[in-house]
Amino acid sequence: MRPAKTMKIELKVNGKRERREVPPSRTLLELVREDLGLTGTKAYCHSGICGACTVLLDGAAVSSCSLLAAQADGAEVTTIEGLAADGALHPIQQAFIDHFGFQCGYCTPGMVLLTKALLDEVPEPTREDIVRYMGGNICRCTGYAGILASVEAAAKALSTKD
Amino acid sequence: MSPERDAPPAVGVSVPRTDGYAKVTGAAEYAADVRPPGRWLWAKVLRSPLPHARIVRIDATRARALPGVHAVLTGADLAGHLLGRRIKDAPVLARDVVRFVGDPLAAVAADDEETAERAAALIDVEYEELPAVYDPQEAMGPGAPLLHPGVAAYEGLPHPLDGPTNRFVRNEWGAGDVDAGLAGADVVVENTFTTAQMHQAYMEPNSCLVALDDEERVQVWASSKIPYAAKAHAAYGIGVPPERIRLLPVTIGGDFGAKGQARYVPLCYFLAEASGRPVRMVCDYTEEFMAANPRHPAVLRVRTGVMRDGTIVAHEADIVFDSGAYAGFLPGGFLPGARAATGPYRIPNARITASHVYTNNVPRGYMRGPGRIQAVFSIESQMDCVAEAIGMDPLTLRAKNLVRDGDATGVGDRFHHVRGVETLEAAAAASGYGARKAPHVGRGIALTKQEAGGGITHASVTLGPDGSVVLSTPIFEQGSGTYTLLRQVVAESLGLAPERVRVEVWDTDAVENDTGISGDRGTRLGTQAAHGASGAAEREVCKLAAELLGWPEERLRVAGDDVVRDDTGERAPWASLLARTGQPAVGTADVEDDVDSGLTAFTVQVAEVSVDVETGRVRLLRLTSAHDTGRIVNPQGHQGQIDGGVVQGVGYGMMEELHSEQGRVSDLSFADYKVPTIADIPELTTVLLEPGTGFGPLNVKSIGETANGPTAAAIANAVFDAVGVRVRDLPVTAERVRRALAASAAGGR
Repeated sequence: MRPAKTMKIELKVNGKRERREVPPSRTLLELVREDLGLTGTKAYCHSGICGACTVLLDGAAVSSCSLLAAQADGAEVTTIEGLAADGALHPIQQAFIDHFGFQCGYCTPGMVLLTKALLDEVPEPTREDIVRYMGGNICRCTGYAGILASVEAAAKALSTKD
Repeated sequence: MSPERDAPPAVGVSVPRTDGYAKVTGAAEYAADVRPPGRWLWAKVLRSPLPHARIVRIDATRARALPGVHAVLTGADLAGHLLGRRIKDAPVLARDVVRFVGDPLAAVAADDEETAERAAALIDVEYEELPAVYDPQEAMGPGAPLLHPGVAAYEGLPHPLDGPTNRFVRNEWGAGDVDAGLAGADVVVENTFTTAQMHQAYMEPNSCLVALDDEERVQVWASSKIPYAAKAHAAYGIGVPPERIRLLPVTIGGDFGAKGQARYVPLCYFLAEASGRPVRMVCDYTEEFMAANPRHPAVLRVRTGVMRDGTIVAHEADIVFDSGAYAGFLPGGFLPGARAATGPYRIPNARITASHVYTNNVPRGYMRGPGRIQAVFSIESQMDCVAEAIGMDPLTLRAKNLVRDGDATGVGDRFHHVRGVETLEAAAAASGYGARKAPHVGRGIALTKQEAGGGITHASVTLGPDGSVVLSTPIFEQGSGTYTLLRQVVAESLGLAPERVRVEVWDTDAVENDTGISGDRGTRLGTQAAHGASGAAEREVCKLAAELLGWPEERLRVAGDDVVRDDTGERAPWASLLARTGQPAVGTADVEDDVDSGLTAFTVQVAEVSVDVETGRVRLLRLTSAHDTGRIVNPQGHQGQIDGGVVQGVGYGMMEELHSEQGRVSDLSFADYKVPTIADIPELTTVLLEPGTGFGPLNVKSIGETANGPTAAAIANAVFDAVGVRVRDLPVTAERVRRALAASAAGGR
């Protein structure tokens, strides 16, 4: 078997410029978790269904397992580690703590980042907006009630902050 | 509580979770996130593509030659190494025979995951296909292929077996004379119910990392919520004394009954030994669906004898559980919850038989109320069928037959402080059970009871000269919030703010044994341990205060940061007393509470559905869940357990079925295996009874496994109420309802 060629990519991850040489088959998830050691992004279904691996790519929520690292060339990626500014929790993170929007925590990084994308797009979402936007991320523990409450509280906190 | 408290109450309030910061920032470390120093290898397993076959020849030459491969093992290398949480019947790697699609028969350790995967695919295997059996009824019949001809000699069988059989456990429970009871009944109602194979669908895949250190210790990071059992399980599979193995605490990403074992730890151990490097294995989703240990599908044949006035005189349940290819993933060797098949009803004559049968399907394990969930669906559906047969309201029938204090259930259990009827009434009131309904809208009621498990746990509380308070625990929490409860109990006992208490988790060297998290025991045992250890630490500092200050020890107690003298009101900060000695005060508690307490907890649910009679589609409009609780330590955490349980119950009732075709699991992703999303949740109403009598000094009851129990039956009963058709098979899908409607229109039932 011929050794795989590598590609040079450059991207910004959590505000930091990263230059990497990766095989073309490297996924964004592998780049983040294995190469950059940002293990807050979680792996599970590897097929873009469960949402555990959600990151923000130029502000949009994407399943990092289903994108190649090369597709993030030139882009700005935010992982869960990049959300708290200088150790101060983002209001969305605080809302998930306050409203018990997690139990085992495995879906939480994805849920928090999905909420960020939602509230950037729709600052005052209705219950329907939330359900439509977040229907793709699976949580097995909470029954979603705590997550709904967290998203609604985060929206409120962010709108009063502005 | 003392009026001189230095902090507001810590129990009974929704204290934020101990793990909140780590979990919302991505810092929480799960087994797959642990990065040991130095280089480690990735393991991949080669799995059988056939449901039942003899391994004629296995050749790993090409795999071994692949650059980047450090070790390749086949069944021949690990002959005689068996796994089993109780019944030791699952080879670490299959050697002669594979018994299900997904059975591991070879393993590779390589520099990276991709190389390991490629190498596994380069292992050549020649199989000779054997006749397979997928139906447990057939598997019990004459002439069926025997999966384990040597089963009678297996270690760990709960009951001895006479000879080769696929039915490796048959339980029988009951009381009285069922045949006479049925013969004397005014009406006998007979039904067969089936329940589906369900996957626990924890979000974190099974992962482990095994490193051998210079002192011959086996260091293990594994997603397992019963680490002491996992240690013993792994030690048995490897063939070393348990003391050699040390599990280190990691965050666990959900469990729901699936993660008490250490299935791949022995394999990673042998790969680590062969390669001289730490070895990590992370299952991918295909492996999780194909080859983990999902919930048993069941066939439940029931007969109930009832008098015209609604008195149930006899009930019989014959249950067949399809356990798949191995029994080794059943912690008790069988499904103890099947005892719930007579329900919490006063039934003088009852018999339950539960057969656990080998087939060439994926091996099954435990999931949230193992055996009970299936049993509850049968008895609670049957109660409505009985009510229908004698023309009585299902609620009235239940209220009439529910046990009261001291009554015996069909299996002879007796309880005190019973609040079944109260819980039933609370659910009915909150749900508007008797209120008017629109056409094709129905309400269904179902209930269950659950006893908190007993066991062993420990805790220590360390008060430091620097004013620190540390609660140490052997529990590896799976996400339910136990650490937060422990913190609250310590804070409450000492009169401190909860955030003052740091929770530290021991590795498995700390104590001899701990029962871990399962069977609704966490709160019962953990709160006793935390309370006991706090009290012991308090006594230590009081003793010290008596020594140093000459105060009478029996008048002293801790209130917040001070030791307080009751008779004079004098106070001294305990930290400064400890600073004088330079030593911390340590209190420990060893809790062994395995007594049959006679306490139980009822859950009654009412589902309200609307049914589209054209398509059969069922919409769950509202789910009311009423709970017979004790003192609630953390209300929001408690509510989260109910919400999560109910939504899993909705999945079981309406959506989830892990399909198998000819032994091959055909739903291999979340695209095929649908679990509830945020779009599937009903309006959820919770009713909590006033705290009743619970366990220990905190007076607590369990909640985790209670909320998912009756949901499926409540939904099936609501569909019957809405459109008059009985769905006896889970899940209650549109197809099934439509078929039942069509059959009913054609004159059948």
